[in-house]
Amino acid sequence: MSVMSESDLIISIRDVSKSFPGVKALDKVSIDVRRGTVHGIVGENGAGKSTLMKILSGVYQKDSGTIVFDGQTIEHTTALESMHRGLAIIYQELNLVSTMSVGENVFLGRFKEMKGMRGTHAKARELLDSIGCKVSTGKLVSEISVSTKQMVEIAKALSFKSKLIIMDEPSSSLTAEEMAQLVKIIHQLRSQGISIIYISHKLDEIFEFCDTVTVMRDGHVIDTMPTSEVTRNDMITKMVGRTIENEYPPRPAKVGGTLMEVRGINTRKLKDISFKLREGEILGLVGLVGAGRTEIVRAIFGADKAKGHEVLLGGKKALIRNPRDAKRAGLGLIPEDRKLQGLVLTFSVESNISMASMDRFSRFGFIRRSLERGIGERQVKALSVKTPSVKVPVVNLSGGNQQKCIVGRWLEIAPKIFIMDEPTKGIDVGAKYEIYLLMKRIAEDGGAIILISSELPEVLNMSNRVLTIFEGRLTGEFDPATTPVDTIMASALGMPGVSA
Amino acid sequence: MDRTTRSSALFGILTRQKALPFIIIMLVGMLFTKTGFYTPYNLLDMLNSSSILLILSFGVTLTIIAGGCDLSIGGILVVSGVLSIKLQSVMPMWPAIFCAIVFGVVVGFVNGFLVVHQRTEAFIITLGMGLLLTGVAQQLTDAHPLPSSNPDFMMIGNGYLLGVPNLVIITIVCFIIFAWLMRYTQFGRNLYAIGGDYEVARYSGINVIRTKWLAFVISGGTAALAGFLLSSKLNTGSAIYGDLTALVVNCGVVVGGTSFAGGIGGIPQSALGLLAFGMLDNVMNMLNITSYYQILLKGTVIVAIIWLDCFAQKRKRELV
Repeated sequence: MSVMSESDLIISIRDVSKSFPGVKALDKVSIDVRRGTVHGIVGENGAGKSTLMKILSGVYQKDSGTIVFDGQTIEHTTALESMHRGLAIIYQELNLVSTMSVGENVFLGRFKEMKGMRGTHAKARELLDSIGCKVSTGKLVSEISVSTKQMVEIAKALSFKSKLIIMDEPSSSLTAEEMAQLVKIIHQLRSQGISIIYISHKLDEIFEFCDTVTVMRDGHVIDTMPTSEVTRNDMITKMVGRTIENEYPPRPAKVGGTLMEVRGINTRKLKDISFKLREGEILGLVGLVGAGRTEIVRAIFGADKAKGHEVLLGGKKALIRNPRDAKRAGLGLIPEDRKLQGLVLTFSVESNISMASMDRFSRFGFIRRSLERGIGERQVKALSVKTPSVKVPVVNLSGGNQQKCIVGRWLEIAPKIFIMDEPTKGIDVGAKYEIYLLMKRIAEDGGAIILISSELPEVLNMSNRVLTIFEGRLTGEFDPATTPVDTIMASALGMPGVSA
Repeated sequence: MDRTTRSSALFGILTRQKALPFIIIMLVGMLFTKTGFYTPYNLLDMLNSSSILLILSFGVTLTIIAGGCDLSIGGILVVSGVLSIKLQSVMPMWPAIFCAIVFGVVVGFVNGFLVVHQRTEAFIITLGMGLLLTGVAQQLTDAHPLPSSNPDFMMIGNGYLLGVPNLVIITIVCFIIFAWLMRYTQFGRNLYAIGGDYEVARYSGINVIRTKWLAFVISGGTAALAGFLLSSKLNTGSAIYGDLTALVVNCGVVVGGTSFAGGIGGIPQSALGLLAFGMLDNVMNMLNITSYYQILLKGTVIVAIIWLDCFAQKRKRELV
């Protein structure tokens, strides 16, 4: 590495360590970020990225080490202080007040400095325009999309004259189009001399626009290198500490007869959705966010009210009015939003895993603890969930391991049909591969999977068959092994001239 | 490192069990006074006078853990108390008591219908229901205390079994049933799941509506049970007994360590919370503190204990 002078660096992190009871989250981590560059940080869940960010923003205090930001040594800091100093963090779970307007959110708590609401809105307008965001400043945050919220966060960061903006997995809920917009903004910020730390799981993005990349693993910095001097495979190897031959396992081979048939789902958003799901198959649903992918599976699972449609299981009509009926009929759902719909965060790992299969280990409504423990431990072992014990609260686990708990919950009742809505969202490469293997195993054991994912390569590489959805309609059916990606994408974008 | 872990673990226990350190402080403090606090008679009496509130709290705990609350218990308490006496003029004692308890169950059913099925706000609905029922009790009694003339009825709330007051025995039995219900049954676990995250519970195939509804029904039933016991103990039914009861009980449950947000807590915690209140009353009586100061002190204690809770929350935020 070349020698850099101190003034070249916007931030210099030296030997920073942080321990939590029982865990060393960061062990002598050192990272330098040069001014005006985009610095990527990659690593599996639990690598220590989030802890590091929380130390920078003042949520945690470091145990040892030094942090020099813009020439100043930072000891104890608070979130507000670091913002005023010029260090802004945009978290994955965006920090906006959803009941207030866009403009109010940009200058939250600083209305007086902005000379009242008129000044607030005017200044917010200026900032939003500067990054090409056209949303009205009077609109409520609850009414705008995730990508717009991100832009509001960026505008907020700019309002503090930030010199360094840290983005924590900003792309995890963006569509390709929205992502392109974000990339444009990132380039623009860089050209204005603003440095960016970009945390992501998606290696494509790191290669697309990061100048330098730091790989972290288990609380250590493994390597920092210019992105131009590293290959994709090298990076994956460094992240997981072992070589991964393929990112995806081969597709399940044997596809049998029809397992489930869906006829005529009609809701406000969906128009006449009918399709078949075959035994041993992974069926991918491809479409933009908001095209109706999630709505389809929610209607099948009985989570949303839909009328008039029929679900046939093994040729027989099944009445599914609510998730309970769905479970009884042999369906399992891994919902889109892990924290909101997937986990009871106050529960232990064990209770989260066992909560769908309670009938199995209860007699006359009484829970038999030893059986429950057995179920928890079996799934933890089968899915290699990284946890000190099945009794720890599930919130203490990393994202990938939390996801495995939800998978385990449903595996325990062995549903024939598994619906997976964004099963690998926010999960690192190693854990992803394990989830893929699991999907394959479910399919090969005679089950079937409906897979929804915003990551196109994932759907295309895992599915035996894909259905494309555009504005609530099915627009095509393809074999991803033989169809060019462009054809599938065109169909998902509702372009004419593509035969179904 | 080791010492900080241990001290933080201790701090955790103190903040989780908010009522327990307070009880210990009172117990230790009373060692240095020359009162009759540490006599078997007084300790048993303290339990006896806390029993009604304890029984009430067990039902309420279920609704709070499920993410609701029940402020109608004061109303149920007085109406069922009045009914159990009044109905004795037209039927024998036990059927009258049975009817009074069924009344509580029905009110709980209605609460559940409105709150769970119709998705209204538990706090407001049950508060309104409590007011409504207090009005009913006033109508029934013409706003006068209604004495009972049946000595058998009085014996239920004032009798002893093997030297232990009946009420204390009933409380202990209720405690065991409820604690076990919450800890070892599917129903209890489902309530925790529903309070912890309603949507997740729904997606996991739990019958969320029926389960949460049942919590309100049970709470209504226990309130009616407590109402008849209170009337029996005082040998009178009156519309004024339940004035502050609902607030005190819901407060005691939260002070004990059950989160008002749902999903966290338990029957033992609630028992400790209300025992702390009962002990505070007893201690203040022992120290001859006038009733005005008593209510002031009680309020102060509630505020102080809940304030402690914010430390626990802060610690939790750090961990997540």
